[in-house]
Amino acid sequence: MTKQEELQGILRELKQALPELRSIVVASTDGLPIVHDAADAPRVAAMAATALGLGKRISQTTDLGSLEETIVRGNQGYFVVYATGDKGVLAVSAPADANLGLIHLEARSYAARLAQVL
Amino acid sequence: MEPLKVVVAGPVGAGKSTFIRTLSETEVVDTDALASEEIGKETTTVAMDYGTLHLGDQLLYLFGTPGQDRFDFMWDVLSEGALGLLMLVRGDKPEDFGSARRLLDYITSRHPVPYVLGVTRQDQPPVWGPEEVAPFFGVPQERVVGLNARDPRSAVGPLVRLLELMVDE
Repeated sequence: MTKQEELQGILRELKQALPELRSIVVASTDGLPIVHDAADAPRVAAMAATALGLGKRISQTTDLGSLEETIVRGNQGYFVVYATGDKGVLAVSAPADANLGLIHLEARSYAARLAQVL
Repeated sequence: MEPLKVVVAGPVGAGKSTFIRTLSETEVVDTDALASEEIGKETTTVAMDYGTLHLGDQLLYLFGTPGQDRFDFMWDVLSEGALGLLMLVRGDKPEDFGSARRLLDYITSRHPVPYVLGVTRQDQPPVWGPEEVAPFFGVPQERVVGLNARDPRSAVGPLVRLLELMVDE
């Protein structure tokens, strides 16, 4: 199995685990999409890298330790970017009525799996 | 005197992060990530660089943008409230001039602020000088300044020019 196929497989599992997710993008920390199910993946990948990069710097500067995730919450939903090892980011978007706790629980463990493959 | 916000923009590898690191009097806030594509360097800015500098009594806030087009949404975010723009372009890489010119047009059309075009790597000939680059960009000669972004005395030149132009305008 190629790395790409392996990542695709993990992405499919995450979709099954959290069917309420609107989109999932795995990207490099410099903002290029790797695997995704989003129509506008290049843009989402770049924004996810920006959110994570800035989040990391804020986390360092304000003594929060190493960054785990950056959350954007609008009145119609969430966009959450999880640190995925040194090289990747996992970005998911979900509607406002989604269970954020459940999303964190699943997405953090999937981010750890993705990090191993990346 | 009010602090002055200046945006430092330009194509990838122009020397924006180096420029801010060279000049900042305070610890630089940078957001480097490992580059996963071939861009001639190991890391690249994904959100912003931030540094501060005094020119005489004038305090400047320097905000550097990411270089790749995919981060274009940050150009507007960082240009909000900016009073000046420094566009950097590598003098030894004329193939970047086209994209730098489009970037300059984009930002100045949306945020009409005084600008200076800085031509970097003047210490590494063969390199295009500011007088050769000005006609290519179609901008007045006095808005184009050559510099070496690693040398504080040279790097400060375009900011001094920008302040002079702002006083005139």
